[in-house]
Amino acid sequence: MALDPTSRSRFNLDKASVLLLDDTPIGMSILVQIVTGLGAKKLHRCTSVEMAQEAASKYEIDLAIVDSMAPSGAGYDFVKWLRQNGQEPNCYTPVLLTTAHTPAGDVVRARDCGGHIMIKKPIAPIVMLERIVWVAKEGRPFLFSGSYVGPDRRFRDDGPKDGVGRRREDLAARDPAVTDEAVVAAAPTDVGREPSATS
Amino acid sequence: MSSVRFVFPKPKLAALLRTPGGLPVAEAMEQAHANLLTIRPACLAEVQDLLEQAEAAFQAMGIEFDDAGLASLYAVAVRAIGAGEICGSPAVDAALTSLCDLLDHLRTHRRYDREAIGVHVQAWRLLMTPDLPQAGADAVLDGLRRVSARYAA
Repeated sequence: MALDPTSRSRFNLDKASVLLLDDTPIGMSILVQIVTGLGAKKLHRCTSVEMAQEAASKYEIDLAIVDSMAPSGAGYDFVKWLRQNGQEPNCYTPVLLTTAHTPAGDVVRARDCGGHIMIKKPIAPIVMLERIVWVAKEGRPFLFSGSYVGPDRRFRDDGPKDGVGRRREDLAARDPAVTDEAVVAAAPTDVGREPSATS
Repeated sequence: MSSVRFVFPKPKLAALLRTPGGLPVAEAMEQAHANLLTIRPACLAEVQDLLEQAEAAFQAMGIEFDDAGLASLYAVAVRAIGAGEICGSPAVDAALTSLCDLLDHLRTHRRYDREAIGVHVQAWRLLMTPDLPQAGADAVLDGLRRVSARYAA
């Protein structure tokens, strides 16, 4: 995932519509300075969950950078709302969660809200860019499973623990020649594949 | 076996990032760091204000287990994390993370150590000192982490 900060490789955030949610003036200010430095121009600055819900209902969002807003953790509630109640294509928007600190009681909430990845503050601009590039990666499955809606949280597929899988596609791990896509396409009833949600 | 449905969305962001034009990584980094420098005075003022709030919250904390007091100090400290780096005092972020860890451990396990909290609040002020030698800051942080780790389990 590491990017060389001196690289001459180009990227373009010029036309990306970016939602920022942070309830502290200084936190918002830091986010704005970083993303404008990275070239983003269309920013929706939101200081409350309500403002963010309104922005996500009105505009197409290409990237959401959401602070967890400790100690309330309201940022997680927004991401959960976006995944479960947001309209397409925003319900699939890449979400970067930022956090100053995650209390022990909020770890599960943070994991299950449906964000793509979490960044611990303080945030270095190069780390922000690396994570943006990472969440933009195509082909990552999106999962609807019980109360969880969001990107597949498994970064690596090492196979099921002790060889006993809970999902049909866990079988793929036993045969390296079988790709995730092939398993999903071949799977019957309980594991379906839908066409791309966005064009 | 729970029912699972997969969707493979195509994030528009990937295509946007590849659009011709844009910025080289090096230039974007330079610009982002320059932008952050412009908010350094505002950041310093905000962190100083939060430090004063934290000192007041600490003074108001009871002698025995004070859940409300721990919660209010946590609410102040957590807001300042991330600003230390911008102010040029990255050790402040580490000290505040240790303080938040400590407050969280104490609340979770319903334990109380006013002295350990006080040490963290005092260290916050000390680490705001301009031109503090790195070795001194590292020693302070090492001590703070040992204190908060004591209550981790």
